[in-house]
Amino acid sequence: MRTRRVHGRLLLGVGVALMLAAVLIGLLAEGAAAAEGRGPKPSRGLPIPRPLAASQGIDNEACFACHSTAGLTTDLPSGEQLYLTIDRATYDSSVHGQQGYACVQCHTDISGFPHPEVTARTRRDFTLQKYTACTACHQDKYQATLDSVHQKALAAGNSNAAVCTDCHGAHDVQPPAQPRTRIPQTCEKCHSQIYNLYKNSVHGAALIGEGNPDVPTCIDCHGVHNVEGPSNSPFRLFSPQICARCHADKELMAKYGISTDVFDTYVADFHGTTVVIFEAIAPDQVTNKPVCIDCHGVHDILPPANPDSTVMKTNILRTCQKCHPDAATNFPTAWLSHYRPSPQHSPLVYYVRLFYQILIPALIGGMLIFVLIDGGRRLRNKGRGRGDE
Amino acid sequence: MSSPRKYLRFPLSYRAEHWVLVATFTTLAVTGLVQKYAASSISEAILRILGGIETTRVIHHAAAVILMLEVVYHLGALGFRIFVRRTYLSMLPSVSDVRAAIQALLFNLGFSKVRPQQGRFTFEEKAEYWAVVWGTLVMVITGFMMWNPIATTRFLPGEFVPAAKSAHGAEAVLAVLAIVVWHIYHVHVREFNKSMFSGNLTEDEMIEEHPLELADLKAGVAERPVEPSALSQRKRVFYAVFGLLAAAMLFGIYAFVTLEQTAITTIPPAEDVVIYAPLTPTPFPTALPSATPQPITAVTWDEGIGAVFQSKCGACHGGPSGLGGLDLSSYAGITAGEGNGPAIVPGDPEASMLVVKQSEGSHPGQLSGDELALVRQWIEAGAPEN
Repeated sequence: MRTRRVHGRLLLGVGVALMLAAVLIGLLAEGAAAAEGRGPKPSRGLPIPRPLAASQGIDNEACFACHSTAGLTTDLPSGEQLYLTIDRATYDSSVHGQQGYACVQCHTDISGFPHPEVTARTRRDFTLQKYTACTACHQDKYQATLDSVHQKALAAGNSNAAVCTDCHGAHDVQPPAQPRTRIPQTCEKCHSQIYNLYKNSVHGAALIGEGNPDVPTCIDCHGVHNVEGPSNSPFRLFSPQICARCHADKELMAKYGISTDVFDTYVADFHGTTVVIFEAIAPDQVTNKPVCIDCHGVHDILPPANPDSTVMKTNILRTCQKCHPDAATNFPTAWLSHYRPSPQHSPLVYYVRLFYQILIPALIGGMLIFVLIDGGRRLRNKGRGRGDE
Repeated sequence: MSSPRKYLRFPLSYRAEHWVLVATFTTLAVTGLVQKYAASSISEAILRILGGIETTRVIHHAAAVILMLEVVYHLGALGFRIFVRRTYLSMLPSVSDVRAAIQALLFNLGFSKVRPQQGRFTFEEKAEYWAVVWGTLVMVITGFMMWNPIATTRFLPGEFVPAAKSAHGAEAVLAVLAIVVWHIYHVHVREFNKSMFSGNLTEDEMIEEHPLELADLKAGVAERPVEPSALSQRKRVFYAVFGLLAAAMLFGIYAFVTLEQTAITTIPPAEDVVIYAPLTPTPFPTALPSATPQPITAVTWDEGIGAVFQSKCGACHGGPSGLGGLDLSSYAGITAGEGNGPAIVPGDPEASMLVVKQSEGSHPGQLSGDELALVRQWIEAGAPEN
């Protein structure tokens, strides 16, 4: 026992020295990052957790002494192997490693050796036991995830549902949006088919092919930690406004020569009017009136000039028929294709409106004049104290 | 001046028609205009009260059907009067109405001393009646196109549907404004005309509004005389003909309502894609195969004992920087031990820290029973290097 105490004291000494160094390096790094105006984004509203004071824990060196050994594993009851090797360089270059966080700040159950017994039966169980460690520092993000489709699926027993580490990694956490292509690639890990659709869409191709910063990635539409189930009714009803965030932005759309009338013309039409009314007074109710994605596609949206676009003239009847199976050749032109009626586009509608714009004031104005003159005469007659005539 | 004499202007059936029209018109106007002006907060409040947009549309459609049935009835009643009773066509507009309108304007402006003398229906009433006829016609046709856009676009360009929608909404605004300005003024503001409630006008009112009709009534020439036998024969013909016409019109209304199933009633099919389709995860490096144990040819460090330590302890104590300062990778390391003492005491296994630790049975790099026995044997033999 004496030896163990001495052993411990030695560790402590080394630990304190390393911790102090880490804190200093961390502070310096943070100062430098702040000077550049960016840097790691700690959870807002929470005190930034500091690398642990040495007296509270175990130095990373102690952990790496074993855990940097390649091929370190333990067998789980499921027959899977739990990998215990941590690549030192990977951790040290992660956002946490750079700041000098100690292993035991997340692995709070480790206080020495032997470690507590692994109770997880599968690798996934192990992840699900451990990921809540993130909440110690990132409580607000965790709270946001509680409303997400992922956490709801997890609570419903779907152990595949994504938790913190599935998106961010565990020991290799990097800034999640640097580069921006990292975002869809993160989602791709579980949603590879959707990613394949997205990467060929007008948005995905611009992001992945050209590094265009204007196009939406997954999270611009779906949100980040509070990812909503896109098939539920409020999301569906709200979705046109998601598209409108960019597509009604004059400055942004001017760069690409895209009309910003798309939202207003949608709302002015039967489909859009209904959806907007539903959104306003019954967001939880289901309406089958189409939103943007029903015609333009969801993840595979193509520019309207693309021959494969769902809204291309040659394809649009088929798109209409998704909801209007009996629709025939003339039917699609009942939709004004986001144009405001003009002598060039939908002249019939334009002239009908013009007709009434002239007829209503002329007719009602005429009536008013007639009525006012009649009323005036009667008032005068009464003023003279005579009945009439 | 007042006279107790009353003249029947609107029999009960006329009044019933009027109130059906009032009810359907008002319902259609309210449920329609809230859709036309859906963005206004008043519309939103009304839509809420009515139970949402879908319910509002059902109410609108129901009122439209009742109005169309009323039109069928009206045509029947009208046909009866024209073809069976052969009444004077007092609602037909004529040049005299234009004259009366000009006369009224001149009188009101003080250019003329006399008000126009009018008959059973004044030009104001005729204007309103024919406006309702025109408006209903426009609404029925454009309403049909909106209700049945697929059927419509089988015969007409697609653009007719949004054009119909524009006309339907604009015509509604026109109709409501006309009622507010023309009808409310002439029937309720100028004089409150109660004939649509009681059915009657007083003699004074008749003198004021319909002097020519009053004169005809007094002369007994307001209605054509009818011979009973001719009347009953005309009735038989009319009932047969109108029965057929009414059947055709009712079928038309039925078709209007049921002609097409415009859209599916479910949510449109979404993207055909498997939502959870995980990428094959990058496999972790497979565990290193444990070194094939060298056959132990002699109980010495070089001839086998060293290899046992290498494979079982090397992960943590595999070099000079090994955990706890203990290096079990070399003979020098094991004999040097760690900071607080040697790992082995040659000749005395029980005093050797390594044996003590391993005997507890819970060290991570746990030696097997055989291996530990060999290590004891080696230490007892003085832990020879070779």
